[in-house]
Amino acid sequence: MALGGCSSSTDEQTSSDVFIFARGSDSQKLDPADVDDGESVNAVAQIFEGLVRFKSGTLEIEPALAESYSISEDGLTYRFKLRDGVAFHDGMPLNGETALFSFQRQMDESHPGHLKVASFSYWKYLYQDIVSVEAIGPMELEFKLAKPNASLLSSLAVFPAFLVSPQALDTYGDAMQRNPVGTGPFRFVDWRPNEAIVLERNDDYWGVKPAMQRLIIKVVPDNTVRVLQLKSGDIHAMDGLPPAELPSLLSDDAIDVYQEAGLNVGYLAFNLDSPRMENRDIREAIALAIDRDKLAEVALSGAGRAAHYPVPKGFPGYPEVEQPIPLDLAKARQLIEPHLHLFDTPLEILVMNAPRIYFPEPLTIATFIQGQLKEIGLPVRVVSSDFKAQLHALRNGEFEAGLIGWVGDNGDADNFLSVFFASWAAEKGSATNYSFYRNEEMDRLLLAGRAATSLDQRANVYSQVLEKWRQDLPILPLVHSDDLFAMNSDYEGFEIQKIGELRLAGIRLKSDNARESVDQ
Amino acid sequence: MASLALFVAIKAMPEDPIALKFGKHPDPQLIVQERERLGLDRPWLSQYLSFNKQFVSGDWGESLLTGRASLEDVGLFFPATIELGLLALAVGCFAGASIALYARISETRVSKTIALSLGNVGLTVPIFWIGLLLLVLGALWLGWFPAGGRFDLMLVPPKAITGLLLLDSLIAGDAASFSAALRHLVLPSCCLAVFPAASVSSVLYARLGEPSIEALYVSLKARGYGNARIVFSHLLRVASAPVITVIGTTFGALLGGAFLTETVFSWPGIGRYLVSAIIERDVFIARNVLMMLILLVFVVAFLSDILAQWMDPFESEKEEET
Repeated sequence: MALGGCSSSTDEQTSSDVFIFARGSDSQKLDPADVDDGESVNAVAQIFEGLVRFKSGTLEIEPALAESYSISEDGLTYRFKLRDGVAFHDGMPLNGETALFSFQRQMDESHPGHLKVASFSYWKYLYQDIVSVEAIGPMELEFKLAKPNASLLSSLAVFPAFLVSPQALDTYGDAMQRNPVGTGPFRFVDWRPNEAIVLERNDDYWGVKPAMQRLIIKVVPDNTVRVLQLKSGDIHAMDGLPPAELPSLLSDDAIDVYQEAGLNVGYLAFNLDSPRMENRDIREAIALAIDRDKLAEVALSGAGRAAHYPVPKGFPGYPEVEQPIPLDLAKARQLIEPHLHLFDTPLEILVMNAPRIYFPEPLTIATFIQGQLKEIGLPVRVVSSDFKAQLHALRNGEFEAGLIGWVGDNGDADNFLSVFFASWAAEKGSATNYSFYRNEEMDRLLLAGRAATSLDQRANVYSQVLEKWRQDLPILPLVHSDDLFAMNSDYEGFEIQKIGELRLAGIRLKSDNARESVDQ
Repeated sequence: MASLALFVAIKAMPEDPIALKFGKHPDPQLIVQERERLGLDRPWLSQYLSFNKQFVSGDWGESLLTGRASLEDVGLFFPATIELGLLALAVGCFAGASIALYARISETRVSKTIALSLGNVGLTVPIFWIGLLLLVLGALWLGWFPAGGRFDLMLVPPKAITGLLLLDSLIAGDAASFSAALRHLVLPSCCLAVFPAASVSSVLYARLGEPSIEALYVSLKARGYGNARIVFSHLLRVASAPVITVIGTTFGALLGGAFLTETVFSWPGIGRYLVSAIIERDVFIARNVLMMLILLVFVVAFLSDILAQWMDPFESEKEEET
C-alpha cells in the first residue's frame, strides 16, 4: 500500500492552531437549558457563558456577562448589571432584553423558546425559587425569589443559566438545540455526529481570546484507543482516563496528567423499604465491616480517596471528626450475629457494568465489598446490569442495596444532601433519594439549610444534617474519585474546575508563550 | 412476525425509557408530559399498529435523547457502515479466495497451512483484538494510516449524494477527499475483512477439494490449459455457489463485527448508533433500526440463495465435460 506518503499534511497531525480534545461519547444536544449529560455540558461550556461564573479552580463566584451584581438584605431580589459591548456570535448585542430570553424560555411554558422537544429539567430543580425575571433597565436584570435560596448565585454560574442568543430561535427553530449561538470564547462551526464538534475562536470575544484558532472535540469511544491516540499525537488532550492507565501516563514525559479531588461521591444505598435493610443494626454492621481506605486504593488506583461523609471535604458543616465510621470487624460481627438467619438468601447488591465518574471500576468495588462482608459472615450476591436498568431499579425501590453515586451540579451542600435525604426526593419512579429515607426532622433541617444565608448558619445546619445521617445511616459513602484530564505536555494553561466543567479556552502551546515573552 | 417479536421484546423491557431519559433530575410531572407527547399513554395495540405504519412510511420520529430525526441519523450512519462493510467484504472475499485457490493449485505445505489456519484464526480470534493490533501496527508504529475516524477533520467533506465518501468524492472529482477517505478506510476494512476472508477461504478450500472438482481440474490440466485459464474461466465459476451462500449468511455476522470495528476505529457507523440506542433506552431508534437491519439480513440471505441456485454448477459441469 503506497498510500502512506500522500496528503499527510492535511491529516489529523495538526499545526499549532488546532487543538483536538477527545472524549468517549458524543454530546446529545448543545442547548445549555436542556442537557444533562456531561459530554453535552463540556461542549456547551466552550460556547456559552452565564451572568456569573466560578473563579477558575474554586467555588467562589466572580462576574462574567454581568459586570457586577447585588443581592437585597432579605435575599429575595438579585440584580445584575450587564457587561457593555458584548455580542452573541450572531451579532446580537447583549442587553437586558436579549439576556432575558434564556430565563423566560425556561420559566414560561407559553414562551416560543420553550421548545416542545425540550424538558428543561434543571430549571425545576436548581432555580425553583425564582418567581420572576425582568429587565429593569437597558443593561440590568432583576430576579425575584419566593424565598431566600443560598445556592442560587452558584446555580446561576452553572450551564442551564448560560445565555443563548434569542435570534437562534428565529434562525433555527427546534434545531437551535444543534446550532448553538452564545457569547463564549469559541463559536460553533460544525457537528458531525459521533465524530466531532468543530469550534473556532471567537475573534470578537470580550475576555482573553483563546490562543488556538480551532478547537475540535472528537469522539474516540474506546478508552485504550484514546490513550494510544494521545501518546501518538493524534489528539492533544482527553478525559475519561481509565485508572488502570494512570501509571503508564504518569511516567510518560510527553503527557501531563491533571488530577483534582472531584465534587462527587460514590455510595451504597440501602433501601429502607426492604425488609432486611430496614434494620439499622444490619446497616451499621455493613458500614463497620467495609475498609473504605483499602477500597479506594483497590478500586481507584490512586485516583481518589475514601469517603467518610456524604459530601466532599470542604463543604460547609463538614465536621472536624474525620472518621465517623471506623473499621470495626468485632463490633460488626456482634451486630450482624442475631440477624444472620435472615440471610439464607444472600444480600443482593446492584451495580452498573460500565464506569461512572464516581466509580471508574464499579465491578471491582462490588466484589471487594462482597469479600469484606463475607468476613462477618454476610453472604452477598452481586447483580450487575447496564446503568439505565440499574437506575430504573433504584428509582422504583426494586432493590435491597445498590452502588450508585452523585456528581454535584453547583458545588452546594444542598445539591448533595437534599438529593440523598429529602422526603420530597423519595417519590417512586423519579426518586433520587434511593434509600426512600423519610424523616421529618431531616426535612426541616434541609429546608433550614436552604433558607440560611450566612455561611455560619449554613455550616451549623449542615453539621446537624450530617449528624442525623450518621445516626440513621440510610446510605454508606464509599469513595470520592478524582477528576482526571490528560494533555500533551507541549501545551499549558489548563486547570480542572471544581464542578467538573471543562474550560479549554486558556490552553496554549508552551512555545507560544516563550515567543511572546521574547517579543516583549 | 419480526416486527411483532421486536415490539413485544422492547415493550417487555422492565425499564421506563421516558423516565430514564431524565438523568439527574427526574420530575414526575415532566415524565407524564413526555409520555403523552410521544403517545405512549395509548393502548398497546394502537401503539403497535402505528409503529408498523410509521416504520413503513419512514416516519421514524426523533431520538429521545438528542432530538434529531432518527431517519436523518440513519442516513448519516448507515452509509458509513455500508461503505466499510462492502469494502471489507470485497477485500475479505478476494483475500480468502486467493488464499484457498493458491493453496489448492500450488499444493505446497506452507500454502495449505496458511489456508487452514486463516480459517481457524479468522473465525476465533476476537475482532476487537485484531482491530487494536492493526491500529498499533498501522497507525502508531508505521504511521501510515490515521488512528481512527472516517474523514479528515480539517477537510470539508464532499457533498453527500450517496453517503459513501469514496463515491461522493469521485463524483465531486475531489482527489484530496478521496485519498483521505481511503486512508481512513484501510485499517478498519482490513479488520472487518478477516471474518469473511476466513469463511470464504475455508468454504472454497473445502469445495475445491471435492472429487468432482478435483477431477475437473485434472482433466483441464491434461488438455494443456494454463492455471490462470482454469481458475478464472472454470474453477471459480463452478466452485462459487456455496461461497456466495456463505457470503450471504456472513452478512449478519459482518454487521455484528461492524459494531466492534466501529468502536475501535471511532467509525461513525450504524453499529455504534444502534448499540448506544439500546444501552441508553432510546427505544424508537432501537426498534426502527433493528427492524431495518433484520429486513436487510433477510433480503441479503435470500438474494444470495437465489444467486447461488442460479449459478448451480451441475448444469455447467455437464457443459464443461462435453
